[in-house]
Amino acid sequence: MSFIDNFLARWQEYREPGYYKEFDYAWTMTIDLDRCTGCEACVTACQAENNIPIVGERGLAQGREMQWMRIERYWEGEYPDIKLGFIPMLCQHCDAAPCETVCPVSATYHNQDGLNAQVYNRCIGTRSCAVYCPYEVRYFNYNNHHWDAPLDEQLNPDVSVREKGVMEKCTFCIQRIRQAKDTAKDEERRVGDGDVQPACVQTCPAEALVFGDRNDPQSQVSQSMNDPRAYHVLEEVNTAPSVVYLKKVETDAG
Amino acid sequence: MSSIDRRDFLKLVGAGGVGTGAGFVLRESINHPVEQLIPYPVPPEEFSPGIATYYNSVCSMCSAGCGITVRTREGRAKKIEGNPAHPVSQGRLCAHGQAGLQVLYNPDRLTGPMSRSVEGGELLPVTWEEGISQLAGRLGDLRANGQGNSVCFLSEGVRGHLAGLFELFMDQLGSNRLLHYDFAHPQTLYAAINRLFGEANLPYYDLQNTRFLLSFGADYLGNWISPVHHGLGFGRSRDGRDGVRGRFVQIEPRMSLSGAAADEWVPANPGTEGILALGLAHHIVNEGGYERGDRDAWVASLEAYSPAAVAEQTGVSADTIIRLAETFAGTQPSLAIGGGAAGQHSNGVDTLVAVNALNYLVGNLGREGGLVFNPPPAVGSGANGAQATYTSMLEIAEDARQGDIQVLILNQTNPAFTLPAAAEFRQAIAEVPLVVSLSSFMDETTAMADLILPSHTYLEAWGDDFPEPGVGFSAGAVSQPVVSPLYNTRATGDIIIGLAQALGLTDAFPWSNMEERLQEGWREIHARGVTAAEADDFEDFWTGVVKAGVWGETSRRVRPLAVESGVIESIGVESPEFSGSSAEYPFILHPYLSNTLDDGRGANLPWMQELPDPMTSVVYGSWVELNPTTAGELGLVEGDLVEVESPEGTVVAPVFVYPAIMPNVIAMPIGQGHTNYGRYASDRGVNPIEILSPQVEPETGDLAWAATRVRLVPTGQRVEIVKTGGVSRELGREIIQTVDAEPSAGESAGLSSIPVTVVHS
Repeated sequence: MSFIDNFLARWQEYREPGYYKEFDYAWTMTIDLDRCTGCEACVTACQAENNIPIVGERGLAQGREMQWMRIERYWEGEYPDIKLGFIPMLCQHCDAAPCETVCPVSATYHNQDGLNAQVYNRCIGTRSCAVYCPYEVRYFNYNNHHWDAPLDEQLNPDVSVREKGVMEKCTFCIQRIRQAKDTAKDEERRVGDGDVQPACVQTCPAEALVFGDRNDPQSQVSQSMNDPRAYHVLEEVNTAPSVVYLKKVETDAG
Repeated sequence: MSSIDRRDFLKLVGAGGVGTGAGFVLRESINHPVEQLIPYPVPPEEFSPGIATYYNSVCSMCSAGCGITVRTREGRAKKIEGNPAHPVSQGRLCAHGQAGLQVLYNPDRLTGPMSRSVEGGELLPVTWEEGISQLAGRLGDLRANGQGNSVCFLSEGVRGHLAGLFELFMDQLGSNRLLHYDFAHPQTLYAAINRLFGEANLPYYDLQNTRFLLSFGADYLGNWISPVHHGLGFGRSRDGRDGVRGRFVQIEPRMSLSGAAADEWVPANPGTEGILALGLAHHIVNEGGYERGDRDAWVASLEAYSPAAVAEQTGVSADTIIRLAETFAGTQPSLAIGGGAAGQHSNGVDTLVAVNALNYLVGNLGREGGLVFNPPPAVGSGANGAQATYTSMLEIAEDARQGDIQVLILNQTNPAFTLPAAAEFRQAIAEVPLVVSLSSFMDETTAMADLILPSHTYLEAWGDDFPEPGVGFSAGAVSQPVVSPLYNTRATGDIIIGLAQALGLTDAFPWSNMEERLQEGWREIHARGVTAAEADDFEDFWTGVVKAGVWGETSRRVRPLAVESGVIESIGVESPEFSGSSAEYPFILHPYLSNTLDDGRGANLPWMQELPDPMTSVVYGSWVELNPTTAGELGLVEGDLVEVESPEGTVVAPVFVYPAIMPNVIAMPIGQGHTNYGRYASDRGVNPIEILSPQVEPETGDLAWAATRVRLVPTGQRVEIVKTGGVSRELGREIIQTVDAEPSAGESAGLSSIPVTVVHS
């Protein structure tokens, strides 16, 4: 094997992190930017579902926010010809995820459903994954967070509470996926379209978010990602994200 | 035994036929009791550990009345979702609705009744019996002496049977001082709809089916009337309908959340939105081929509103006016809505009449994609009946100062925070001998109370709601407790029934609690027969409604396409009046309801404090928005502390340079600036309501809260604004990509790069 062939083979290996080559399910989310209003219902829904800590004013001033789902805003133009665009930003569950290759202890890996998963117990807090992530959607616990009683009564028992020194991020509400798969298994079938929705998708008032299995060509998400408006954010970095955005439509209103 | 695997083992345990080894295991597991994880000694039937139970109920975070489904585990509420069956929310929910859990589990809730033993003394815990008898004793004396009218009951806006219960109670006391007070109640819109169409209730604006929406100042996606339902309508109008994408234009002096979603944002001088609407009407009537019989009357009354004249007043070019008028008339169905700050000027009602008249001119009444009239609500008279205006609140304050009010009962309303300092409401409350609060939280007004009888939160109490405005047909829902009460609090309805019974009013109040009252009311709804087909028996009907969380009669109303007589002749919008001279106070203050904190009621919820403001990404604070040019002229940059000074007072807040606001306008969010209201809200930011001028809209007497002039005085100090957003420009990264409405062939190939199954070779 020539040096170049060898290099290419290795490169291919390097570009295929994780352990799964074929996915049982390929969970995908599409986000229609023409529908998104920036209302942030998804942000709070995510906080409620996933036990995301309350960081406090000081923590936020230090840039230690913990919102797995956030809304980014970009202005374009100058007054009076000015526009504001919103884009929901969450873990893109890349199939070629830079965060997975960099983790020294394999705390973040690719699971059989194509999810980019994080093992909290394995994480030693090097924060390398956050540095490698082009979407900046990984959040580090700089502190042990606590909930003033009785706010802790709200905590979701299906989701663990993370501690200081651990990296965390969007899981596509894996606890809901697990439950749907359990139910499907008991009924001896595959998870059907619409059986599972992450908290953000479920609450979105404008129905901008669609979630499902792209291995099923009939699923709503498969249909949605075939829209000619579909694109990936930062496509040039070749991360093969599982979150697909639909372009915002620009038109003369009058 | 070696061949027994786990499954067989469990089978054997289940059959009870196991050897000693398994018996030991069982004993071990029994020896570790798990009772402390399960809050019930005798669990209810539907409960099983580890399995979630869902209850349908109604959201009370704002007045929209969304149906909700609450997920509970082991007797604790874990998550709130929209109820898919409810016509308002249709399975969706906003950030406020999600944060309802933090109302229930708020660490700063009032945990039991409290009373001041001496005037000005400390609030000390009392029992419910003591609290009720203290208040009932006072009320009984007043009633016996024929002074029942010196009792004033001030509530947040409530609907359904609870509103009826309040009415009955005050009626029995002999008082007509029952008022609902909410800062953002669309009083001027009710007046406009009434004048224009003779309707007492608001119509349903069918956003979902409209093709062209013109919004005059209504932040309908943020917090105007029913944001979740509007969000659904907006989303569906964009795509997925029939291939025709609905377009919309937002007209307002400062870009709101809805302005950002619009295809075009048109800044117009504050208070001139109605004049602009008449400019559009002028063009439609004169040039737009308007042919109805009343054309001459329209032409006559719109004479002064030619696009050229209107352009001068509004700051919107005549070309734009003509373009918008032609699109509005030429795209069918189209819809014009107005509200928010546009309705809160000295010409508020006239403005909203002008806006809604546009719907009449292009024939958008009572049809799909237009303005649909609602049937009267199934119970009560709707939301506007008992609503207080600013003027009626001033009257209450004056009566209190005159000693005409002996007892003031407050239910979840916080006028000490949501009225301008100029109203002197705090001073007036101090004159009332007995102030009673039924609030669940120690807000600014409750802190002044002599007796506190704290209510349950909405997730612990029985109630019902009939959304107003409705969705074009009659709908209602029962809200049920989803968890047992956390503290020694009582449901508001139960407190009123308890009081009435302590007063000996058992004939008028035969019910032992609110649930009984509700059942009796719903028995009447069932007896009306429309829904009886689905359940002959009331018990079945009731269980069905509570379980489904919704009830409705889907027949729509038919109404002729007409306006009230005399309206056309009287149509016209005066120039807005502002308090303070423009020389002394060069800027117009544009206060707006915070998208995260609403009118301040969300400020005690940590999720809402941490939720970045959608437009600026600011958290945990107040700010003053300035146009970049204005900021440049004044030499101000983000974080510079300025005094915002109106003729009525001053607040200090940091500058935020906001790219989408008119240069002569400054904007401030309402919501912060609490002095009480718990650890998350108090002593944080400023409340711009404080410095508003007491200017009223003359027809309704409502506060013209967008009509205050201010000046800015730099303090020379700086703070860092805490915000989560970084660089607010894309800098060529193409993060938000756009596409033209009509993509040409070959363009936008889409995501051909993602295979349906990812298989690496």
